[in-house]
Amino acid sequence: MVITGASEKVALQSLKASDWHLEGAFDVFYSQPQVAVTNCRHLEELYNRYKEQDADMIMVEGISQLCEDLQVDPQDIVMLVISWHMKASTMCEFSHEEFIGGLQSIGVDSIEKLCEKLPSLRAELKDDQKFREIYNFAFTWAKEKGQKSLSLETAIGMWQLLFAERHWPLIDYWCQFLQVRHNKAISRDTWSQLLEFVKTIDPQLTNYDEEGAWPYLIDEFVEYLIENGVVQRSK
Amino acid sequence: MSSQRKPASRIEPFRHRVETDPKFFEKAWRKLDDAIGEIYNHNASGLSFEELYRTAYNMVLHKHGPKLYDKLTENMKEHLQEMRTSIEAAQGGSFLEELQRNWDDHNKALQMIRDILMYMDRTFILTNKKTPVFDLGLELWRDIIVRSDKIHGRLLDTLLDLIHRERMGEVINRSLMRSTTKMLMDLGSSVYQDDFERPFLEVSASFYSGESQRFIECCTCGEYLKKAQQRLDEEVERVSQYMDAKTDDKITAVVVKEMLANHMQRLILMENSGLVNMLVEDRLEDLTRMYNLFQRVHDGHSTIKSVMTSHVKETGRNMVTDPERLKDPVDFVQKLLNEKDKYDSIVTTSFSNDKSFQNALNSSFENFINLNNRCPEFISLYVDDKLRKGMKEANEEDVETVLDKVMMLFRYLEEKDLFEKYYKQHLAKRLLSGKTASDDSERSMLVKLKTECGYQFTSKLEGMFTDLKTSHDTTQGFYAASSDLGDAPTISVQILTTGSWPTQPCSPCNLPPEILGVSEMFRGYYLGTHNGRRLTWQTNMGTADIKAIFVNGSKHELNVSTHQMCVLMLFNSADCLTYRDIEQTTAIPSVELKRCLQSLALVKGKNVLRKEPMSRDISDDDNFYVNDKFTSKLFKVKIGTVATQKESEPEKLETRQRVEEDRKPQIEAAIVRIMKSRRVLDHNSIVTEVTKQLQPRFMPNPVVIKKRIESLIEREFLERDKIDRKLYRYLA
Repeated sequence: MVITGASEKVALQSLKASDWHLEGAFDVFYSQPQVAVTNCRHLEELYNRYKEQDADMIMVEGISQLCEDLQVDPQDIVMLVISWHMKASTMCEFSHEEFIGGLQSIGVDSIEKLCEKLPSLRAELKDDQKFREIYNFAFTWAKEKGQKSLSLETAIGMWQLLFAERHWPLIDYWCQFLQVRHNKAISRDTWSQLLEFVKTIDPQLTNYDEEGAWPYLIDEFVEYLIENGVVQRSK
Repeated sequence: MSSQRKPASRIEPFRHRVETDPKFFEKAWRKLDDAIGEIYNHNASGLSFEELYRTAYNMVLHKHGPKLYDKLTENMKEHLQEMRTSIEAAQGGSFLEELQRNWDDHNKALQMIRDILMYMDRTFILTNKKTPVFDLGLELWRDIIVRSDKIHGRLLDTLLDLIHRERMGEVINRSLMRSTTKMLMDLGSSVYQDDFERPFLEVSASFYSGESQRFIECCTCGEYLKKAQQRLDEEVERVSQYMDAKTDDKITAVVVKEMLANHMQRLILMENSGLVNMLVEDRLEDLTRMYNLFQRVHDGHSTIKSVMTSHVKETGRNMVTDPERLKDPVDFVQKLLNEKDKYDSIVTTSFSNDKSFQNALNSSFENFINLNNRCPEFISLYVDDKLRKGMKEANEEDVETVLDKVMMLFRYLEEKDLFEKYYKQHLAKRLLSGKTASDDSERSMLVKLKTECGYQFTSKLEGMFTDLKTSHDTTQGFYAASSDLGDAPTISVQILTTGSWPTQPCSPCNLPPEILGVSEMFRGYYLGTHNGRRLTWQTNMGTADIKAIFVNGSKHELNVSTHQMCVLMLFNSADCLTYRDIEQTTAIPSVELKRCLQSLALVKGKNVLRKEPMSRDISDDDNFYVNDKFTSKLFKVKIGTVATQKESEPEKLETRQRVEEDRKPQIEAAIVRIMKSRRVLDHNSIVTEVTKQLQPRFMPNPVVIKKRIESLIEREFLERDKIDRKLYRYLA
């Protein structure tokens, strides 16, 4: 633990994996795609800095403080990425476990280190697979606790945020359409299927298939685009 | 007949080579030659068959077969050439006769010659594979006479000319024709075909082509078809009279092609006399003829079918979208039934009940009936009209027939569940106002619906009947059990089970104390025997019979609605009441109350109340009095009926909305059922399966199905497959 700076847990893991041989354990440790070293005590201190006074959670104030310390806007998408790492269940709150666990998995134990990591965290959004995970995570995270669907306002906000990173030319029309025609909450299926739609269908909708089992909201969106002359009807 | 006598000696078998007489052949041949000549000259009777036969026999035996054969051939040729000359010389009409005569002669001669030379036929000819005598004779006839330059063309022309003349109406010598064609047939079927039949067919084709062209310019379709039929019959008869039977099919095909197939489109689509016109005017005879004739034409029937279908669809569409027609639903449906009857009889009579035509008709009807989404409502209104009291067909059988016909229309409906809703409403009104003409007819209709759509369709409707019967029993029981009713008004209670009857919102209404008393007693009685139930008086659906004695002495029995009764009863204790008073006391909602008062005070002949001021509108301070001057010719006066009318626009929308709402759970149930058994299924298959399952009731909209699927995903009954997003998986 002293040499590698690993946490107790990781050290034990490595030793177990190598049958309690010390040298083998080092091999195991360094060969694992283990993120870098984190110091538990530092993490606890960090947590305490932000947590609420009378609850074992980090809430809005704490998060604002965190953002200030990081010198990022609370609306910055990197906060979403961080929340994803934390497997946070709801936006604007981090539980003790979520916070500690998240920072560990990022591999930092101080604000400075976290700041340094910010660019690479942002870069994770460029990865297709990770983007999809983050995108789908965003739904559960952004909706109200206990609700099945995501309120339209929040959804639009999230979409605009997300599709600023992964450019989709029709995002504005989509939001417009929803506000004019739909005005109701967004279901999970619609949310996740939208990403598929964005990824597979080209902006001129030339390969859109009516029989493609897209959620009806997306079908209606296509109709909306055609009606407004944004795209031509194929066939 | 002399015979050469050998010197008298014993006839011994030849022990040594017999010397042949070198002149034997010539002598023998001369004998035969002469004999043949006699035969051709009709002098056969003087000949000895035996001798000639023997002569020929000897010739063959002495190996003179080949020479004999050649000589025979030459001989016949000579005779035939003579005949040819005489035939060629024949003038005009006697040509055929001359030909015929000679042919007969030749035939007879041939027979005799064949008999004489039979030995040669059986031996020499067989072994040397030569043409037998008789056939040789025919061949020679064919080549020398029939196919001779001068005769060949003339023969054909003569025959064709006669046929042409007969077609133009002249009478010709048919037996001569027959024997001539028979001659050709005897000469071999290829002779018949090449020398007569083929040219005959060609000439006929151009004849009919010309004739059809002329006819079609000046005839109506019906007339033309008659003529075509005539010609066809003629040709068939002609063939049977003087041609080979095999020509029948061929000439028929020619006539059909020239007269029918080539002009088919033009005939069927002819303005003012074609198929459409025949259908409209029910010209059954013409239609039958057309059906029969075009049966022979390739695509004939399918053309008729498609023209008929578009016509039916067109007229149907006009019928159902004509705004004038839509004003009277009963008449609208009656017209549909009439149309169906008309076409049914056409198919039965003229199209010999052809199933494919019946099917075409059915699909046309299905097509246009569903163009108007008020048809379910209208059909229900029609049935309602028929089942009410006082209709013309008092005969039960007639009613049955009408209902069966209505069921045929019902089958065409796509939105059967909409019909069910309306039928329920209308039935409820009928039952509650006691307006059903015949219980049996009602039940019979239900049975028909059940047979068509299954038990679930009619279970609620049957519940309505049961309710009434039970109510009747319960009311009787009530009166039997309650002895202390005294002067209380007689009530008749109908207890409706909430699920079975169309829901009606119930408005408040304060019943007069007399009524209230006895109704509460009833309620007590009922709840005593049926614990745990709740009774709510539906005052907007009841009726009352009141005896009224007017100041001027007239007595009447008034049949009114419950609301009207509440209003009238108030006047037992007051002479004058303002609208406001009435409203307060009865607690009936104002829209309904105003309508009620209008019907009591403002309708001529039924104005048992008087209103001041006499204006149409009712305002709060208007005064109402009993109309002392009320008179009526009838003792029983009926005020305000609950007639079934077609719905107003807002009502219509509401009903439709409810039906749409009802469809959603049905669609969901279908989806769940399907997914439960299939486990994994792609989107399009689900849509197809759901549509198939629900089709007997209504046609589900694919968009609605999709929304239901998404709702089921939300509620975690289904999920999308992770890899193929078009697949859905059932979640247990």
